[in-house]
Amino acid sequence: MTTLDARPDAIPAEAPDNYLTFRRGVLSWIFTLDHKRIGVMYLFAVLASFFVGGVMALLVRTKLLFPGEVEWMTAEQYNKAFTLHGAIMVFLVIIPSIPAALGNFILPVMLGAKDVAFPRLNLFSFYLWLLGAACAVWSLLAGGFDTGWTFYTPYSSQFGAGGTIPVLIGVFILGFSSIFTGINFVVTIHKLRPPGMTWFRMPLFLWALYATALIQVLATPVLGITLALLVVERLFNIGIFNPSMGGDPVLFQHFFWFYSHPAVYIMILPGMGIISEIIAVHSHRHIFGQKFIAFSSIAIAIFSFLVWGHHMFTSGQSPLMNVLFSAITFSVAIPSAVKVFNWLATLYKGSISLNTAMWYGLAFIFLFTIGGLTGIPLAVLSTDIHLHDTYFVVAHFHYVMMGSALIAMIGGLHHWWPKMFGVMFNETWGKIGCALVFVGFNLTFFTQFMLGSQGMPRRYYSYDQIEGMAEAFKMYHHISTGGSYIMALGFVITGIYLIHSLVAGRKAPANPWGGASLEWQCSSPPPHDNFSTTPAVGDCYDFSAVRWDESKQGYVVDTEAHIAASGKGH
Amino acid sequence: MLMQSGADAALTPSDAVTPKTFWLPQGASTIAPESDWIFNYINYINYFFFFLVIGIMLYFVVKYRQKGREVYARGPAHNTVLELTWTIIPTIIVVVIFFMGFKGFVSMKTVPQNAYQIDVTASQWAWSFKYPNGATSDDLYVPAGKPVKLVMRSQDVLHSLFIPDFRVKQDVVPGRYTTLWFQADAPNADGDFHMLFCTEFCGKDHSRMNRHVYVLNDMDFDAWVVEQGRWLDAIPEEELYSKAGPKLFGRCASCHTLDGKPSTGPSWGNYDGSGDIWARTSSPDSTHKVDGKSISELIGQGKEFETPEGYLRQSILIPGKHLVDGFGNAMPTFQGQLSDKAIDALIGMMKHLDEFDAKGKWIGKPEGK
Repeated sequence: MTTLDARPDAIPAEAPDNYLTFRRGVLSWIFTLDHKRIGVMYLFAVLASFFVGGVMALLVRTKLLFPGEVEWMTAEQYNKAFTLHGAIMVFLVIIPSIPAALGNFILPVMLGAKDVAFPRLNLFSFYLWLLGAACAVWSLLAGGFDTGWTFYTPYSSQFGAGGTIPVLIGVFILGFSSIFTGINFVVTIHKLRPPGMTWFRMPLFLWALYATALIQVLATPVLGITLALLVVERLFNIGIFNPSMGGDPVLFQHFFWFYSHPAVYIMILPGMGIISEIIAVHSHRHIFGQKFIAFSSIAIAIFSFLVWGHHMFTSGQSPLMNVLFSAITFSVAIPSAVKVFNWLATLYKGSISLNTAMWYGLAFIFLFTIGGLTGIPLAVLSTDIHLHDTYFVVAHFHYVMMGSALIAMIGGLHHWWPKMFGVMFNETWGKIGCALVFVGFNLTFFTQFMLGSQGMPRRYYSYDQIEGMAEAFKMYHHISTGGSYIMALGFVITGIYLIHSLVAGRKAPANPWGGASLEWQCSSPPPHDNFSTTPAVGDCYDFSAVRWDESKQGYVVDTEAHIAASGKGH
Repeated sequence: MLMQSGADAALTPSDAVTPKTFWLPQGASTIAPESDWIFNYINYINYFFFFLVIGIMLYFVVKYRQKGREVYARGPAHNTVLELTWTIIPTIIVVVIFFMGFKGFVSMKTVPQNAYQIDVTASQWAWSFKYPNGATSDDLYVPAGKPVKLVMRSQDVLHSLFIPDFRVKQDVVPGRYTTLWFQADAPNADGDFHMLFCTEFCGKDHSRMNRHVYVLNDMDFDAWVVEQGRWLDAIPEEELYSKAGPKLFGRCASCHTLDGKPSTGPSWGNYDGSGDIWARTSSPDSTHKVDGKSISELIGQGKEFETPEGYLRQSILIPGKHLVDGFGNAMPTFQGQLSDKAIDALIGMMKHLDEFDAKGKWIGKPEGK
């Protein structure tokens, strides 16, 4: 642990010193133990990966404009492109995006702590992330990989392009990065909460990160072991998953989804946490049903371990298992629905400010509702048989993983951008970017629901082999690709105005949106130590003591009134 | 997925095929109506909840938008009755939905006793369908009005057999048998068919494992399967390579070209300067290399193969035994799938490669031969 003793000569919160200028030079970043700097490094690394993964997606979508072969992309290249897109987006982008980038920055500040519990472990997990990303590059140099991000055996162990082993090693290492972040967060939340912050005074974002961290710690080792077994089979011909050597390919699927289904919640739970913050703060009213939301995060974390078999209804596992997994799967639907209803109720009698972050919050509710509801026909046995491994599944998980998890991450980025970098971005451009992403996203992925339910299988390079196929699917592919370009434009605009704000943005007040949780009580950007003294903790969703201050161009929280009002309830 | 021509519409009972809708392709199997009913039922529930959620959201956003910079919102922070209500009602709905899907699934998985069995072999990147009389085909032919059971196996990696119009799908797993059954009541009109896809990623040509499904009425099917069983026998010996060869080569074409172009397996044409497949195998001073050695070390008096034909025959039946330099062990075995006569036809085609175009079509003997 870093030194947590309060410095008697501590400078007041408004001091010019901040974590960005506290020390200077490249080395001060490379060897930093400051959770904020590590979070920022994660953020830029994740966004760079998002760019690469996005380019891969655009290549795939562009290819699919044409039903047949194209000269500029062979089937092998296409298979590598969609595999790379999936692997980058899952392992390098979405899994670390909210916990490791935003969570690292915000979690200790929200707790009123000076850092996470294990700052060195935190830096180590960032370097493991970099090492994992380097393995992905190594894989590309070794011939790339074309197994799909799911690495299904025996294709991955017996066939598969030359870069398969490097990428497996990379994902194995990334797994440890994720585990270490999880351990760090669990310990931090248990040990470093300030006096007065009981579990139910803890912001819901922290509840979500806590539930996520539990899954990261418990599920990720299974992925590591599974991939290690796969490497062993591929390198030494030890039969584990390959039936020609006495193994069982369906066993791999069980192992893989035992991690990867919980991993879906590693991706979405922190997003739900962000949305709880955004909706409450920008509605300026107490979150509705705080305990239900908190418990639903934990319920989702627990149920997530029991439903992996719903990815395998057509795999050849026994029909009885299919029935059990289908039944248990519905248990996850309930806490998800509860959250949506609670967010809606939070809007009721609120004072809703439609900032860019709130636009993303509302977009999340829209997209997550579609993503969640379309999960139902996939959880139902008889309809999933038709929809499995078609574009319907692709559309569904993009609504949840991208439309929800990633949109929440971008929303959170806008929500905390003034806090992280001390500058305000252009709200008008923010809304234009959000609208383009929203429209483009729905064009891209809603059409894929029809594409899939009409029968188009996923991971297809071409769709013209038999008569009538191209005619049946071409229109949907064209709309989908068009939508992806609109979405890309939205992200480019977002990138431009965010970077522009770093250079020329108006200086941000400590509390631009009127939040009452602790991160809004230190200056923007926060000082190196976050807080000079451990701050007093009230109800982080009680906004009765929040006022607009014209001179600061931001909101202020009357701390004494806030503490006094907390606990009275409404 | 394909239209029925007007003239034949009278032949097909109208209730046997449900039309294509906004969401679903035409339904042409006996389980399709139930599966579609559940899908549509869920859809209506989904529409209801979607418009409810979004309607409420937009209404609140408009009604309770912030006025100026004021923060005076005093909405209720919780309401136990309301929260329990919206926990319990969705629970009841999903329990009902689960049982509907469960019921449909049981009928999908219960194979009728009298089902007509077709054996399916999937490999990279082809389907082979084998009928009880030993006939085989690349497209799937099924009798109308009878339950059909597919017993499926894979020779290499995972595949998945999917017929959208029938609403059925099942992975094909190496080292296991998986089964699938359906019954299609309406025979296809002439030239009409249902699509069959591979839906489990299986490598380079995953998207080229698409085949036709033809539903024939009982009489047509019986005639077809008998004909299919002996089509090879009906071809006279001297026309075997030109008539049967191209048809059989269809299976080989996913990995072997005829014009020397690179592909998954060695081209039958001249690709390494040692001549086409017959020339490089039969010539005593061939530069062609197998297992790192010259091929002539394998073939000849007292060697492993007496004749080039013997080598080629084994390459088809046990392809992993000897590997051509530069190529891995990727070819599935054709043991039990190709009769001696079929192998004769293929080797005959290899011997007369100059009589075929690059796509395997027989174009006749070249001038002056």
